Parts: sequence; C-alpha cells; structure tokens
Amino acid sequence: MTMTHPGLPMAWGISVCLFMALTTIWFFVRSNAAAVSSTRHFDLMTLPVIGSVLHYITTHNWILIVLKLVFAGLFLLIIWAGLFGTPIAERNIATVFTWNLWWSGLIVAVFFIGSAWCAVCPWNSIARWLVHPRLSNYKFSNSLGLKVPKTLRTLWPALWLFVGLTWLELGFGITTDPYATALLALVMIIITTTSMALFERQAFCQYFCPVGRTIGFYSQLAPVELRPQSKDVCINCTSLDCYYGTDKISPCPTHQVMGRMTQNTYCLSCGNCSQSCPYDNVTWRLRPPSAEAVQDARPHWDEAWFMVVLLALTSFHGITMMPFWENWMSTIARTIGDQGRLLVSFTIGLALSLLLVVLVYLAAVWMTKYLCHKTTTFKSLFSQFAFIALPLAFAYHLAHNLNHLTRESVDIGALLTNPLGTNTLPLTMAEKHDRMMDMVLAPNVLFGIQAGLLAFGFLISLLVIKRRSVNLISLDETNQVYLLPMLLFASVMTGAHLWLLMQPMVMRL
Amino acid sequence: MIMHKTNKLLFLIALFTIELFTLKYAHAHHVLGRPSYSLNEDSNTPPAIQMETQIGDYLVNVMVFPAFPQPNEPGRISFYASHLDTAIPFDGNITFMVSNNSWMNWLGFESLKEKIGVQKIDDNVYRQGFLFKTEGDYIITAEFHAGGQPYIIDFPLRIGARAPIGALGITVSILFLILASVSLIQRKRAMTGKIQNTHEQNNQQGKQL
Ligand code: SF4
Ligand code: SF4
Repeated sequence: MTMTHPGLPMAWGISVCLFMALTTIWFFVRSNAAAVSSTRHFDLMTLPVIGSVLHYITTHNWILIVLKLVFAGLFLLIIWAGLFGTPIAERNIATVFTWNLWWSGLIVAVFFIGSAWCAVCPWNSIARWLVHPRLSNYKFSNSLGLKVPKTLRTLWPALWLFVGLTWLELGFGITTDPYATALLALVMIIITTTSMALFERQAFCQYFCPVGRTIGFYSQLAPVELRPQSKDVCINCTSLDCYYGTDKISPCPTHQVMGRMTQNTYCLSCGNCSQSCPYDNVTWRLRPPSAEAVQDARPHWDEAWFMVVLLALTSFHGITMMPFWENWMSTIARTIGDQGRLLVSFTIGLALSLLLVVLVYLAAVWMTKYLCHKTTTFKSLFSQFAFIALPLAFAYHLAHNLNHLTRESVDIGALLTNPLGTNTLPLTMAEKHDRMMDMVLAPNVLFGIQAGLLAFGFLISLLVIKRRSVNLISLDETNQVYLLPMLLFASVMTGAHLWLLMQPMVMRL
Repeated sequence: MIMHKTNKLLFLIALFTIELFTLKYAHAHHVLGRPSYSLNEDSNTPPAIQMETQIGDYLVNVMVFPAFPQPNEPGRISFYASHLDTAIPFDGNITFMVSNNSWMNWLGFESLKEKIGVQKIDDNVYRQGFLFKTEGDYIITAEFHAGGQPYIIDFPLRIGARAPIGALGITVSILFLILASVSLIQRKRAMTGKIQNTHEQNNQQGKQL
C-alpha cells in the first residue's frame, strides 16, 4: 500500500491566501522610492565570544580539514554500503543518508548557513586530494590548469546537469536504489576529478556542479554572507591575495575578488580568502535574507534561465510525489505506447512541466514589456525579473523537504551500527506507519512553518518585483499596471505550490 | 569531422522520428511498477518485492518471492488484480513474459520478449514460477484483457547480486587513466619549458659573447 503524508489543512491554505491578498494591497500602496534602500549588515566578528571563535575557525585550516575528512569518510562509507550492502533502500545508509537526510536537509541548511556545504563537499575534497595530493592548502599545481572554453563558461552545463539529476532521482528512481546511489557518487568523483585535472581552479564548482549552483543561488536568500570588513581596504589592496592566492593558500576557486563581491552565488565558503587576506579584512556578516535577490545580485542571462528552471524543477519535484502522478504517467505511456521503465513517458512529463513554467514566465515578461512601453529589452526584463523565481522556488523547496525531514523519521543509530543493512528485513507496514507518526515536529508546528515559508516566498518575490522594476522601468507612482504580469506570475506559482502542499504526498521510502 | 549545424539538427530530428516510430502505439492500459521491499503482513514468508498500482479499472498487486532471487534458484510471482469499483478479482488468463532490461529498453525500444507462462486464477491469485539461468536485469510483463481492453504491467526484476567490484574497478581505472595522462602531459610541458629555457639562455650567452 502506498503511504501518504497529509497535506496542509484548509485553514492554513486560507491564511496564506489572505496574506497574499493583504500583501498585494500593500504592494500597490507602498511607494516605489521606498523600495530603493541600502542593505544593512551586522558584522558577526564583532560579537564578543562568537566573533573570536568565528575568527579562529575562518583563519585556521585544521578545523576545515577535520570536517572534510569526516565528510569524505562518510561519503566513502555510502559508496561502500551502496555497492556491497542490502538493496533494501530504507535499511541501507547509502539511500537513507543521501536522499532522506542530505538531499532534504541541504536546502534547509542553506537557509541558515548559506553555501557552507561546498566547504566540506566530499567529492570535491576527494578530487582535490587526488589531483593535488596534500591534505592542507596548496597552490594549484598538478592540474593542466587550462582555461574553461568560453562556450562552457556559463551556467548552461550546470542547468542541464541539474535536469539530468532530477531525471535520475525521480524518473530512474535512484532514491530507492542503494547501488545506483553509489554509482552516482562514483560518477561525481570522476567528473570532479577530471574537471580539476584539466581546468584551472575549481571549474566544476563554478560552472558544472548542479548541487553547488543550486546551493549558490539559494544562498542569495541566506541571512549570512562573507564580505570585506571595509571596502576601502580592498580598493587600496594591490596584491589581491584573495584572488591570486599566496604561497601557502590557494586562490579563490571560483575567481571571486572579495572587494567586488555583491552576491553569494559563486562563493563556496571555502575560507581561502579569509586565510590569505593580509589585512584580515574578510568577515562573516548577517543581513536581511532577501537583500541579494531583491537588489544586490546582478542579472545575467544564463543565471536567469537557471533560476527559472530551478523554480520549474522544484514544482516538478512536488508534482511527482502526488498520488495522481502515477496515473498521469500511465496515461502518457498509453498514448505513446511506452513500456519498460516508462522513462520516455517520464521524460515527456518532465519536459512538459518545465516548459509550462518557462512559458508562463516568458508570457509574463512579454506582457510587462508590452505594458511598460519602454525601450528596455526583453532580455533585460527576463534577466532582472528572474530573481522572483528564487524565493518562490526556495520557499516551496523548503516546505516540501520539511515534510520528508520531519515525517520520514530515520533510525540513525541502527544505520550507523549496521550501515550496510546486513541481515535486515524490509520495513513492515506497521513500522512504516510508526515512522510516519513519529514526527520530529508537531503537525501543527510543521503546517505553520510550511504556510509561513510560502508567505515568506511570496513577500520576497513582491519586493523583488518592486525593486527590480525601479531599476528597469521607472519610479512612477501613478501607473503601476506594468507590474501586474509579474505579480500574477508570483501569485500563480505560489497558488500552485500551496495547492501542491495541500495534497497528500507520497512517502519517499 | 565537425558536423554542420543543419546536419546536426536533421540528424536529431531523424533520430527523434525513428524513436517515435519504434514506440509501439497501443491503446493498452500500461503501467510500470517500481518495486519496494516489504514484509507481507499476512504471511511469515521471507521478504518479498511488492508492488501495488492502479491501472485502468483495476488495482494490481504483485509480489515476487524470494526478495533477492538468484540464478538457478526457483522464484515465484504472485499476481492479484481486483476491479476498482466492485473489488471483484479479475478472472481470466494472464500471460507472463520476460525481457532483458537493457539501456535500449529504457529508451522505449522494445526488446525481445519470451513467454514464461499463461496462468489461470487460483484462490484469487495468479501464481507464476520462474527460474533464471543467468544473472542480470530483467523486465517481467504481465498481460491480460478485460472489458475489451489490454492491460500490461511491467516490473523490473534483478537476478543475482550486482557486481560491486566492477563499478569500483572501472572508477579506479578511469581515475588512474586521467591522472596518469595529465601527469604525462605535465612532464612533457615541463621538459619543453626546460628546453626552451636552455635555448634562450644559450642564445643570450651567444649574444653577450
Ligand atoms: S560546487 Fe559542487 S562540487 Fe563544488 S564544492 Fe559545491 S557541491 Fe561540491
Ligand atoms: S575564496 Fe572565494 S569561494 Fe572561497 S570563501 Fe572566499 S570568496 Fe568564497
């Protein structure tokens, strides 16, 4: 029997709708000029005890090395368990840790600590140790150090790899296959190592890694950022050690110049800049979580596409966990005569879902262009407003993943003592039921957080529309009709996500 | 040779068309179940692959015993189909077939199917025994007709354990190959650099003299 999690109750759904209605009124009442403000920050290093601890952590490499070793060890254990352990997904550490804990928890972690995952990413660490066989920091030396070809220096490779990962996850069903999970982990090591051996710095992280780029974009909405303490120090700096590295510390793996950083997107939180800066000018700061998406991040065509497709893929994730998805697949398979693993049907379903969101967004951009009668190009409108997709995707992704994290409890103790699941039996229906009932959060708290997240996503998307339209169109207070298409887009997407959250959701394992 | 852009496009269109035509166009009810491992509440038999799905007017339940079938060891499929509205079990003939679960099959190309048997209902269940000689990934197809429509249910079956050493071996070999090639190129580069340096130094010395 398929087990499902209950959806968001109607009362919560109505609350979100009411919130949306009220914020929409506020949106039109609020003056455009008020949308333009400078972002306030709080330097965490100035805090009495926390500041010193943080400073020690960011300027001393050994803590990071220990963490990297722990994560790499866990990653190798996952590969081992996937290859040699039981094929029962819920008893094998490979599937449970990868898909139930890591993949679901990663997005939640971004909400608090930004791109910190990349600092300890195991496949990247293993690749570094293979290509540059030294544990501590190093100068990039044992790689061909080629420049990435210009055509690949965009986010298109990462975008397609992310679509591929979704296909593997939801179409191929890798999440319930420990062996395939281990194979994916091995493939990650191979491609990261190949990229590192061929290209300079960490080209894989910057252009190709679907995980890193997703985290990167979502961390635009994180409340923390790594930035210079004083911009003036960076302006007057002649050595640019953060960019070029030093004898002991390697350069920024993704070509960031600290003094010019305005967004988290490509920062891997590796801490090289904190260690190499001769003026100790790099610091962790707190900020309003929406600041970057609303105004600080610069728009780019390929990045805009990544954000829009990210939104589409996030919605698609939700759709495939609805009980009706199987019937849709069946209908497509019947129509085209697909058989076997129904991968063609799944691919069609995936393509149609992506296309739908992209087309709705394109239509909104086109209508905005039509209504504002300005010379602003379609491309700039597309790129600027794509930031709307970020809070919408992130909010739903978080709300959806919270269901997995809190409702699909995992017996971590049993998995750590028997990671391969040797001689274990599958979960009985009663056990599955118990796990579903054994929630980490009380149901109403979870519902409240989920509703709050959707409301938060909608609110930030409105702020993005307001602020970005000032950049592109005008500060004109009287005629705001040109904002309607984007407002409609944000409302439709939030409405769709709300509806998805209100449906029962199929349990992953 | 680099393919011209238009040729590439034509090639892709041709490939897509071939793919479309090779897909069997059938108005059959068709579903693929993904197995999950579950203990049967009503029996004390060892773990079984269990799949439950809704297809057309029927609710289908499939179980495979044992959970991890091995080559040359007999296994059994238990198939149960009941009408969604009336809950009356389907009573007729069900044909069980097997085919290789290859990459081609994943792409929608049909691989050769071999009939395992045709079964009649027995105590509300259709039971089909099997014995595979070689390990591998297979697709089991159960086919029946009801209400004038064909129903096709596919589910994957793994016989024997997968080869973990193979995956590790391939990974290590690829990594070794990449690192060794890069190292070779690096050495060659260093050599060329050295030769160039010596050459330049000699030239400079010659000029000074
Ligand atoms: S970008 Fe990808 S490969 Fe690089 S550190 Fe982050 S997750 Fe790892
Ligand atoms: S060196 Fe670059 S990637 Fe690393 S923390 Fe600094 S800015 Fe981020």
